[in-house]
Amino acid sequence: MNILNLQFLLEIVFGTIIFLHITKKNFEAALSYGLQSLMISVMLFSSFFETSNVSLLFIALLVFIVKVILAPVFFIKLIRQHALMFSVSTYLNTPLTLIIIATLTFFAHSPKFAPLTGIIQANQALLSLALASMFLSLFLIINRKGALSQIIGILSLENSIVAFTIFAGLEQSLMLQFGIMFNIFIWLIIAIIFISMIYRYFGTLNVTTMNNLKD
Amino acid sequence: MEILFIIITLIITAFLNAFIKRKLVIEFFSIIAFSVALFESVVIALKVSISGIYSPFVFFSVDSLGVIVMLIIACVGFIATIYSIQYLRQETAKGIIGFTRVRQYFVLLNIFMTAMFLSITANNPVFAWIFIEATTLSTAFLISFYNKPSAIEAAWKYLIINSIGLLLGFFGTILYFTSVSSLGENGFVSWESLLANATHLDPLIAKIAFIFVLIGYGTKVGLVPMHTWKPDAYSKTPNPIGALLSGALLPVAFIVILKFKNLTDMAIGPQFSQNLLIIFGTLSIAVASLIMFNNKNYKRLLAYSSIENAGVMALGFGFGGLAIFATTLHLIYHSLVKGVMFFSSGNLLLKYNSDKINNIKGALDVVPFTSILFIAGFLIVTGVPPFGIFLTKMQILSVGIEINPIITIMALFFMTLVFIGFLKHITSMFFSQKPEDIEVGEGNIWLIIPPMILLIIIIVLSFYIPPFLLTLINDVVSHY
Repeated sequence: MNILNLQFLLEIVFGTIIFLHITKKNFEAALSYGLQSLMISVMLFSSFFETSNVSLLFIALLVFIVKVILAPVFFIKLIRQHALMFSVSTYLNTPLTLIIIATLTFFAHSPKFAPLTGIIQANQALLSLALASMFLSLFLIINRKGALSQIIGILSLENSIVAFTIFAGLEQSLMLQFGIMFNIFIWLIIAIIFISMIYRYFGTLNVTTMNNLKD
Repeated sequence: MEILFIIITLIITAFLNAFIKRKLVIEFFSIIAFSVALFESVVIALKVSISGIYSPFVFFSVDSLGVIVMLIIACVGFIATIYSIQYLRQETAKGIIGFTRVRQYFVLLNIFMTAMFLSITANNPVFAWIFIEATTLSTAFLISFYNKPSAIEAAWKYLIINSIGLLLGFFGTILYFTSVSSLGENGFVSWESLLANATHLDPLIAKIAFIFVLIGYGTKVGLVPMHTWKPDAYSKTPNPIGALLSGALLPVAFIVILKFKNLTDMAIGPQFSQNLLIIFGTLSIAVASLIMFNNKNYKRLLAYSSIENAGVMALGFGFGGLAIFATTLHLIYHSLVKGVMFFSSGNLLLKYNSDKINNIKGALDVVPFTSILFIAGFLIVTGVPPFGIFLTKMQILSVGIEINPIITIMALFFMTLVFIGFLKHITSMFFSQKPEDIEVGEGNIWLIIPPMILLIIIIVLSFYIPPFLLTLINDVVSHY
């Protein structure tokens, strides 16, 4: 796949993270994460077609099954089960959130991160965008008050790191990828169980209501 | 083969425990599994003390520091299992938990131990990351064990903060792979191959990677400012698990940081990583000492003590040189003494049904053996002579005074503050008037013996270090 197509895929990943910041509906956030993961698996599929490395095909399939199908299905089931149509609010309002998004994106493209984005010179713009996606995912976790949004933020951060490794040529072996995916799958299940527990005990997914523990 | 034997035994025990319907059998199997782990760990330690490294397969490799931590995991794990049996029996008798919870506890405990053994022996940084993440997953339900809102909150914080930290650590880990031009055989890159190629690492990437690794794994260690999950998790988890989180998991994560420090030092020299460790270490000691002073919960107090000691260790490895010998010993003493303190605080919890410092009065009259154990633990952990931690702290500070006098004086001041703060709570809990309505006497002898064993080990190790352990510690000094 040529660089423009790859850039387009990464831009969709980046776009989904911005959408995750803006959206107020959990259902849309779950779908957005699914779309983001689909782009990651397409990137891995394209690597397979370029290199004919069968392990890449296996990894791409694994990513597709776990992140594109299972994760959104789990989220949607959870949303329906507890009628969690609307996500809870953010700490910062939308204009301020957008200003910080712009600042973080600019920051990721600054020369300060040139050693990281220059790992493969030809992919500098893509690596900068992947780095920006990482920063925005981190900001998403911090800025959102909803437990579900925080989970999606963490998974989005993981997707951004995967995108970075693809463009930096740092993909791991099949065995390691399998281990990572297995970990993520178990993490996802545990996180969803905890979300159900939070809802059962607190009656909301708003993490600001969890204030029992203080020094 | 020994390491495989440990892993297989623990996994099989976890699996069997999940289906067994008799509590006695679950307890028996767990004791057997942890005895095997302890015995095999000693065998591995002896092998490493002779040959310097233990690597039966390409996937496993343990060096001297790794095997010391392995011994700690096995020892604290074994004692924690013995203590857990009686502790959970008492909780069951009080109606706090039922059989399902006990079974869940032992299944998760075995998985947790397996993950720690694998983290410490994994010969690949990504594998190590996978297994450290697995420790988070296995302990999350142990933190929410009592199914109370506060426990769920603690477990959620633990899961989220550690997951973010470990993802950042993963990113840092991946960056170190830029030094190897292509993946090794079967795509496997060992710690050794990374070390051999570390000089090819771009200096700026090495710096950025180490920052990510330090923040990532530092979250697991509980270095300030990534420590916020720790007091919550420690205060809500069953006490034996608190002992393992503080005594075993902390060194496991710390060792990974040190392995990456080695890689970074090879690429850019030791100054950068040492400075960062000194900064994070001092910050951890300072923040922990200030918060400990006004703490209201004795389990949280132990968590802040762990943060302080993680800071001391970071400071020791930051100072380098002779301080590394002292820091390695400090790591051993700290793990053991935290076992003593968490187990004795568990006894207090069973007796008083409260983890609030204000609710514990006259403990020395009510539970004298437990009180002596806790007070001894306090004296050891705060560095009162003649115990080992006094010597290790002094040695670290004496190295530090030559390298960075201001930081060293600050650290000494905050360590003194820790002692004063701790003493204030100890006086209030143990030397006050006991409540009228409380029954005097220890719960059970098996709640006293496990911390007593650990205390004896610490006292012995304060005055005598076995030759094989001395060889291992000297080897750590030459490699880290």
